[in-house]
Amino acid sequence: MPEPAKMRKPDVKVVILGDMNVGKTSLLHRYTERKFKDTISTVGGAFFLKQWGPYNISIWDTAGREQFHGLGSMYCRGASAVILTYDVTNWQTLAELEDRFLSLTDTANSDCIYAIVGNKADLTDSGTHRAEPLDGQTEQEGVGTELQPTGGGVGGGDPAALLQKQVSQEDARALYNRVLRYKGMEDKACPPAERLCFETSAKTGYNVDELFETIFDMVLPSILKKRSQGTPSTIDLEECRVPKSTKAGCC
Amino acid sequence: MFYSRGVCWSSGCEKQGDVSPVENHIHCDEGQPQTEEGSEAACPGISIVTDGFADSAPGDVSGGPASCEGEEHTHLDSQDTHLDSEDAHLDSEHTHLSAEQALDSASGEESQEDSGEFVAAMLARSRLEEQGLGVKGGSPPLADTGPSPPPPGLHRDEDVTADAWRAHRKHVFVLSEAGKPIYSRYGSEEALSSTMGVMMALVSFVQSGDNTIRSVHSDQHTVVFMQQGPLVLVSVSSSGQSEQQLRHELRYVYNQIVSMLTQASIARIFQHKKNYDLRRLLAGSEKILDGLLDLLDCDPSFLLSAVHCMPLASSLRDALSHVLQKAITPNLVFSILIAQGQLVTIVQERTVIEDARLEPADLHLLLNLIGASSAFQAGEIWTPICLPSFNPDCYFYAYISYLDPPSCSVCLLLLSTDKEAFYAVAECKRKIEEAMLAQNALAALAKARPYSATQVGVSDLRHFMYKPFDVPDNHRQLTQFTSPEMESPYSSEAEKTRLLDLYRDLHGRIHSTSRPLKLIYHVAERETLLAWVTSKFELYTCFSPLVTKASSINAITKLLRWIKKEEERLFIRYPPKYSTTPNPSRTRKAPEHDATDNGFLSLL
Ligand SMILES: Nc1nc2c(ncn2[C@@H]2O[C@H](COP(=O)(O)OP(=O)(O)O)[C@@H](O)[C@H]2O)c(=O)[nH]1
Ligand SMILES: [Mg+2]
Repeated sequence: MPEPAKMRKPDVKVVILGDMNVGKTSLLHRYTERKFKDTISTVGGAFFLKQWGPYNISIWDTAGREQFHGLGSMYCRGASAVILTYDVTNWQTLAELEDRFLSLTDTANSDCIYAIVGNKADLTDSGTHRAEPLDGQTEQEGVGTELQPTGGGVGGGDPAALLQKQVSQEDARALYNRVLRYKGMEDKACPPAERLCFETSAKTGYNVDELFETIFDMVLPSILKKRSQGTPSTIDLEECRVPKSTKAGCC
Repeated sequence: MFYSRGVCWSSGCEKQGDVSPVENHIHCDEGQPQTEEGSEAACPGISIVTDGFADSAPGDVSGGPASCEGEEHTHLDSQDTHLDSEDAHLDSEHTHLSAEQALDSASGEESQEDSGEFVAAMLARSRLEEQGLGVKGGSPPLADTGPSPPPPGLHRDEDVTADAWRAHRKHVFVLSEAGKPIYSRYGSEEALSSTMGVMMALVSFVQSGDNTIRSVHSDQHTVVFMQQGPLVLVSVSSSGQSEQQLRHELRYVYNQIVSMLTQASIARIFQHKKNYDLRRLLAGSEKILDGLLDLLDCDPSFLLSAVHCMPLASSLRDALSHVLQKAITPNLVFSILIAQGQLVTIVQERTVIEDARLEPADLHLLLNLIGASSAFQAGEIWTPICLPSFNPDCYFYAYISYLDPPSCSVCLLLLSTDKEAFYAVAECKRKIEEAMLAQNALAALAKARPYSATQVGVSDLRHFMYKPFDVPDNHRQLTQFTSPEMESPYSSEAEKTRLLDLYRDLHGRIHSTSRPLKLIYHVAERETLLAWVTSKFELYTCFSPLVTKASSINAITKLLRWIKKEEERLFIRYPPKYSTTPNPSRTRKAPEHDATDNGFLSLL
């Protein structure tokens, strides 16, 4: 049965951005449903509510075409965290984050947190092939991967032959620092790149909980601040509306 | 207007021999019959059909012997007999109506009140002779194809050089004018880029002679080309469908692409960059097109261009409509409730219903979108969506959410013209959810079921599809059709497809541009079908092979009476409306948002 309406006001907003097919929906699906399913397609944006302790966190999963139809800024408005997702086997997807997606976050909160997530780590790293990660498994394993020789020599009989890893952790961290610079946040006390750059696998579940839980923990202060300031703990409907007579989306 | 229409009785019995069971009607241009391909012996090879030059007769570039052509014009296919007012000759083997009778009955039906009685009278007048049941060659849909296609699921990874790839019943390709692959139903676009290049070369070659390629016909396959702006769509089919039907399907594919990008944007993109790779924008949406093509194959809604309505007690439907009517917000224009993929009710903004209406084709695209994005069962979707038949250049913003997780069979679809309205529209959903909970409507809706043909109480009737036209004009409502569930012997996928193929065949002949028919009695191998179109309805029925002509007449009379009796339950009779002008009870301080300036009219 659906929850009563009043329970569903979100306290904070998290947005997942990134090129199509990098695995945004799969990551969210893995986190919320504990499953990996191959038959999902995203249209527009999908809004989810996640109970995190006493708080309601809204998560927007997007399709990757945002800058085309101009809804990206709507999805990002007032966001407290943005998860910028790329595919570790595809260099272009990292480049797109900077070229096409970063500008969409201009409507996010000024103290918004940015995470850089390289998904599909299972394709390049046999260490993440196992099913669910064991408790206590840490980022260590992910960090080590870029040093491993990939592609060549690994299991000729393996049906899922490993792909060449195209994006290293260093590349991702460099992007993280450029994002902070773009946002004019280098001077502020932002978490270091090591804490907000992840390599994940929605397929095996590797590092997925760590990603979401790190981010949720980091946005808590933003919730508390909002609450203590007495601002309504809801998304303000009026605020979301542009006061000008709304032009229908005619192109 | 009835002049060219005729009545056809056909049976599945065929001349013994190697006559190709596939009947090919080839049209060069809508409404202009050109050639009819006969048996393999008469016309081997491939014929290519193109549009005519501006004012001359359509050209025919034929790869086969040129001598075929003359005969084809007058060719009557061997398995059916037709009667057009033009060639009204009698054939001793089969039954005909005279042209006079056909015209007579065509005008007669206008005044006929009870269509059931009418069919009885009309059929009786035609002095029918019983035909032997067709047992020799199969009807077209029964024709066997070669190796069976691989199991569904891994279509993108298919080996495009394998026989199994070639064996697919229907391929669909989308490419840009520059020959860049955009979509392929089976196999990856990359692997097919040379194939698509050849297709584009063919299109361009014909174009260079100021002509347009429309179709290519071979013994096994029909290839249909359609150019829409900068996109070229190609269907390669061995399904036996008519060129017209395949073209209709390609239009759906094109419209689904437009629904994601808008026509104006597609044009703009290619103006800007001729060899743009549109997959950059469509990546991730292939599944939506895959889903559409699967639906086109198995859902007769598309064939009939009508919406399948969930049968429901009219009191419940009215109550649900009322709930939707009360949960409104500015710029909301359509509220649609769907259960098990079938329409429950649709409420429209008042100004919308006056100025335009939601076309079945657009609703089909929406339903497909919902089906393809079922992963969001837990979430709420907010997406721009263009409704191409309504306006191919503008976006609506669709809110999609399931009301009954985790079973997810009841879906709410709210369409707004304001892209920022997500939270306001989501609030409407809460209201609808609460009201439905209070009225226990969700539980009632969960019990809604498609009906069974046995409920009609006609012994030999196995299945039917009925599409009425008799909707009062002032309602301008959605075109609907009703149909029972496909049950035994049509419960397996293969048998369902076989029945649909039989229907498609009848539909193709009823709507043939060269020789449209009003009535077809078709004795197939394992069933007998009767298709009938009047000014009031279009009806397709399937009977057990034991039915006789006399008893089928009887059965149809009873069926039409039953539908009349059940009308309230089977169809949405009076589509409700609302007005989303500012609601004074809400704090919205925007009096400029009135009905004429709610952003909607700028779309028109
Ligand atoms: N091997 C592997 N495939 C993945 C992973 N995540 C997603 N995929 C696949 O990548 C494709 C795109 O995933 P999807 O979640 O729809 O991407 P989105 O467009 O970013 O939402 C799908 O075929 C997924 O099955 C992953 O971690 N490992
Ligand atoms: Mg997605």
